[in-house]
Amino acid sequence: MNSSEGHSTASGCPFSSGNMTLSDMSLTDPLIQARPQEFYSKLRNEDPVHYDEKLGMWLVSRYDDIVTLLRNPQTFSDKKGYEAQYASGFFEEFKQILEKEGGGFFPDVIKSDPPEHTRIRKLLDSAFSAHRVKTLEPAITRIIVGLVEQLADKAAAGKVIDGVKEFSIPLTIAVICEQLGMNQYDGDKISEWSAAITAQIGRMQNREQMVENANKICELQNFIIGQMKDREANPKEDMISDLVHAHTEDGGKLTFGEAVSLVRALIIAGNETTATAISNLLFILATQPAVAAQLYDNVEDERYLTRFIEELLRYAPPVRGLAKMTTRETELGGTKLPKGAHMLVLYGSGNDDERRFECPRSFDASRGNVGNHVAFGVGIHRCIGASLARMEIRVAAKELIKRVRNIQLAIPVDQVTYLPTVATHSIASLPITLMRR
Amino acid sequence: MSVVKITFVERSGAEKVVEDAEIGDNMMQVATANGIDGILGECGGGCACGTCHIYIDPEWHSVVGTADDVEDMTLDMVSETRKPTSRLCCQITVSDNMDGLRVIVAPEAL
Repeated sequence: MNSSEGHSTASGCPFSSGNMTLSDMSLTDPLIQARPQEFYSKLRNEDPVHYDEKLGMWLVSRYDDIVTLLRNPQTFSDKKGYEAQYASGFFEEFKQILEKEGGGFFPDVIKSDPPEHTRIRKLLDSAFSAHRVKTLEPAITRIIVGLVEQLADKAAAGKVIDGVKEFSIPLTIAVICEQLGMNQYDGDKISEWSAAITAQIGRMQNREQMVENANKICELQNFIIGQMKDREANPKEDMISDLVHAHTEDGGKLTFGEAVSLVRALIIAGNETTATAISNLLFILATQPAVAAQLYDNVEDERYLTRFIEELLRYAPPVRGLAKMTTRETELGGTKLPKGAHMLVLYGSGNDDERRFECPRSFDASRGNVGNHVAFGVGIHRCIGASLARMEIRVAAKELIKRVRNIQLAIPVDQVTYLPTVATHSIASLPITLMRR
Repeated sequence: MSVVKITFVERSGAEKVVEDAEIGDNMMQVATANGIDGILGECGGGCACGTCHIYIDPEWHSVVGTADDVEDMTLDMVSETRKPTSRLCCQITVSDNMDGLRVIVAPEAL
């Protein structure tokens, strides 16, 4: 992943050559999932809207096609794509477990199409505006300073630290729990629950894992329902209270199931993806000394930091691929698609598209179109928590730079492991050493 | 007066006149409700996405006002097309002194 790896093209852009053909490859391969760039490049150059037989989905890999698709939510349904992906292969059994033990099966109400989506989304927009998030900066800083200090203490004692489990994940869980008004929580549980939820769109679980994950999701839902009942009786100044008592624009209320699904989405979506972005920050600081040096030199420059974070999101987007489904026969990037085609939008590949981003494998915070990445998606489903995620990454970067130095990988770079999933590109564990500044 | 006239110059150069922009409304919502090409407002007015980027004619600057620090940071993300006259129209509330305002939809960054 280091920009010095691979050969160089005449233009000076690093690339790595491969000798497999697309038909031999599938995104279901954990090795490709872990180090996907070569596969993405092949897709973009040879078959930009490619049917992955093993996965049973059309992979959309070029930037322009991704944007076209995402801006046509009526033709490429988020709801249908998500439903076909969810607990794929085991859906009925999964649903029964939740109905029996988890208070009910509550479909993700935000994973819907207009006009239903518009009604729900409007309810949430103001809670995540950049201005509201700005007011959270002191609280987020307090949480992050505490965690960086712990990290520095452990490192001073000569310990190898897992940047994912001991920093990124506890950080994002603490932030979202504060937002949701959950003062007492079990971070390990929330982390397990998150993994169980994201596994439902990852396409890599077997039946046994599905049952295990479904049971964890039951626990999560029972926890959420308890929190909601508490807020019904004792409203507080937090997002769970807001959702329990929310009225939509048409004067209606959310149903109980809708509210459960939204609280669940906020807990999960708000933590794993942002945690991955922060793990990616640690990874880049540990493996790209020139990029790290530049960040150390410029961390007080707010404008530089903004660009650095956008480039981090472009270079290493946490969300790899989300599903859509065609509602009619259509065409994308020159490929004819039948009605009901299950699509996987490869945000990771779009951000790597050399047609859009010059030398995409170079981390370059000064690139002119740094804000044009698709890490947060595009269109009506654009990530609602983008400002919160940016703030968390920003404060993490600032406080790390202020307090620690010499972040190093404690294992060879090619031994870094990634979660087996088509939905995200997440470092599973990141053993690092560092020094207090 | 409860409405004002605002002209949006689309990327094609076409001028679209909204005769009845309600005072107090959000300018991004006025634009999307009137189908102004190039104004998407994808984050719903949260100052997070930069898809409602416009240029304000300098003579209107004092009426429309300057971006605050949060908007300023989001504008940094569309730096390729940013100008001194840039604003995100989701951060502008239509007011009675905006009658006759003309704004230009910023080009898409390449």
